[in-house]
Amino acid sequence: MTSNQISAQLFGKTNALTERAKSFLAAIVATSDDAIISKDLNGIINSWNEGARRIFGYEADEIIGQPILRLIPLELHHEEDFILSKIRAGERVEHFETTRMRKSGELFPISVTISPIRDDNGVVVGASKIARDISDRRRADENRFRLAAIVDSAEDAIISKNLDGVITSWNNGARRLFGYEEEEIVGQSILRLIPEHLRQEEAEILRKLRSGQKIEHYETTRVSKSGAIREVAVTISPICNSKGEVTGASKIARDISDRKKVERMAVEAEKIATTGRMAAAIAHEINNPLASVLNLIFLARRADVSKQEIQNYLATAESELERVSHIARQTLGYYRDTGSPSEVQLRDLMQNVLSVYRSKLLAHGIVVDAEYNDLRKIRVHSGEIVQIFSNVISNAIDAMAQGGKLSIAIAQRAKTERDGLQIVVNDTGHGISREHLGKVFEPFFTTKGNLGTGIGLWVARQLAERHGGHISISSSTEPGKSGTIVIIDLPFENSGDANSVEADAFGSSAGIR
Amino acid sequence: MEGANIQLFLGNRDLVKSSEVYRSEGKAEARTEARPTILVVDDERLLADTTAAILRHAGFETRIAYDGFAALEVAGSFRPDYILTDIMMPVMNGVELAIAISKMYPVTKILLFSGQAGISEILEQSKARGFEFPLLAKPVHPTKLIESVRKLNDR
Repeated sequence: MTSNQISAQLFGKTNALTERAKSFLAAIVATSDDAIISKDLNGIINSWNEGARRIFGYEADEIIGQPILRLIPLELHHEEDFILSKIRAGERVEHFETTRMRKSGELFPISVTISPIRDDNGVVVGASKIARDISDRRRADENRFRLAAIVDSAEDAIISKNLDGVITSWNNGARRLFGYEEEEIVGQSILRLIPEHLRQEEAEILRKLRSGQKIEHYETTRVSKSGAIREVAVTISPICNSKGEVTGASKIARDISDRKKVERMAVEAEKIATTGRMAAAIAHEINNPLASVLNLIFLARRADVSKQEIQNYLATAESELERVSHIARQTLGYYRDTGSPSEVQLRDLMQNVLSVYRSKLLAHGIVVDAEYNDLRKIRVHSGEIVQIFSNVISNAIDAMAQGGKLSIAIAQRAKTERDGLQIVVNDTGHGISREHLGKVFEPFFTTKGNLGTGIGLWVARQLAERHGGHISISSSTEPGKSGTIVIIDLPFENSGDANSVEADAFGSSAGIR
Repeated sequence: MEGANIQLFLGNRDLVKSSEVYRSEGKAEARTEARPTILVVDDERLLADTTAAILRHAGFETRIAYDGFAALEVAGSFRPDYILTDIMMPVMNGVELAIAISKMYPVTKILLFSGQAGISEILEQSKARGFEFPLLAKPVHPTKLIESVRKLNDR
């Protein structure tokens, strides 16, 4: 370019390169982040700006007058011949990406644009070279490609959406989980993946995202292209632009259908195990009086007994049979759980459980102190509550092998966000050590060796939560003061949402393959 | 708020008075007749008492104990030919008692008597320690019970 051409381009007229304009250009050159270098047609450097110093590491006075080949790795020296031939022919070389060498010998990627410099007569006298260090860009590109590869090969579904809930990206995992191809789903609403009755979830999710919150390990159900229900754990994070404004969200969904299925099987297995334990206790309660009755009848039949003795035997036999029918009424009746909740008095359920464990409590020398203030009935699945109580009572008995006191209180909760009943079961047993206490609700955690299944409390918690309730444990192993307190909260009103979601997830399990 | 405070009193039913509850009379009691002797052990008192009455009428000399420790004490002086014991009992269960008895008095024949299905673990544990005892399930008809006790001699 001649100075007139430069002048014409910058200022719209020739001969405008006044001293002021020249110093303006010089200032631009000096402050540019890019390296701006000029060289003559022999490849000798004759100007060197601040950017060039930063990028290449040479001071101006040590490099001016040196051949440009100093900046070019030996194996790329041929590039210079090619560049010079272009320049001599008056052509530009634009955005040429290559490798150059810093003063330290370090090689780095660079993008160069080389233009011929002409004298006022238009004769090419040299070249200007603007070079940009693209190490960072290269690294960013590599990261981006690597991340893209990870996203694409991930087992989990990774989806991004904007704040209107429109899907903007879709990986292979998402294709496998939901059945849609990228082309058919990108641009569509995320609601396509959400079952009808859970659509209100999306509004809540978007509200959280807009306020910059992350949603972690949220377990819910989604629906695939074929209409199959997918049980998933999702983590949703806001995506922010460089100004920190939320512009969308990334969503990672993991298929937990299998895990849920195993969990449901474990819950069923534990129910069977509890039923078995209770059946054994019930058997004991029934078989003992029956054995006595057989004995009493046998004794009454003897030839040499007086009428008075016969009366005594029969009266005793009668009271034993009453004991049997009492046990049968109390225990067997509650196992006819119809599957739908009913209004019950919690104290009745607790008394039933206590009567089932009566002989075990007696055998261990445990005193029971029960205080009931549950005036209101509560709507629950009796069988499930019996299961929870049975588990907690049976744990308390196990903890008090050498005897102790079992205190039970059922009362209306005072001043909480939701009205309900609180059941407090307090034993004076050996307690649970600190390192175990945090794990008692984990599945398959047990301190009872082969005798425990390790899922009793875990199931108790699931059942309590299914009722919209809560179960917590505190314990002390301090000698003399040891014991465990279990607190179960059950609301009068089960929150409809949680219940229907749960019911749906469980109800549709048969359809999951 | 009105409420109910309920104390559960467990056990302690004593419907049949027995004249046979153990009286400590020093070491190995003198036997008056050559009747077979049996110690009945059950924490369910009515069952222990009536079972002992039936066995007495069947020709046995009987003693009763309501827990494992009392049974050990009685066995020390009574030296019974047989012990019929419940399994699920407070403090010392029937299997522990049976193991202790068979170590101390190997000639005594032991019959376990249980109304509970959930005792298989206790039996497994005793088996692991090298002890196996015959087991009779409650309820059992008295004639069958007498027959089972007599059959112990054939084992």
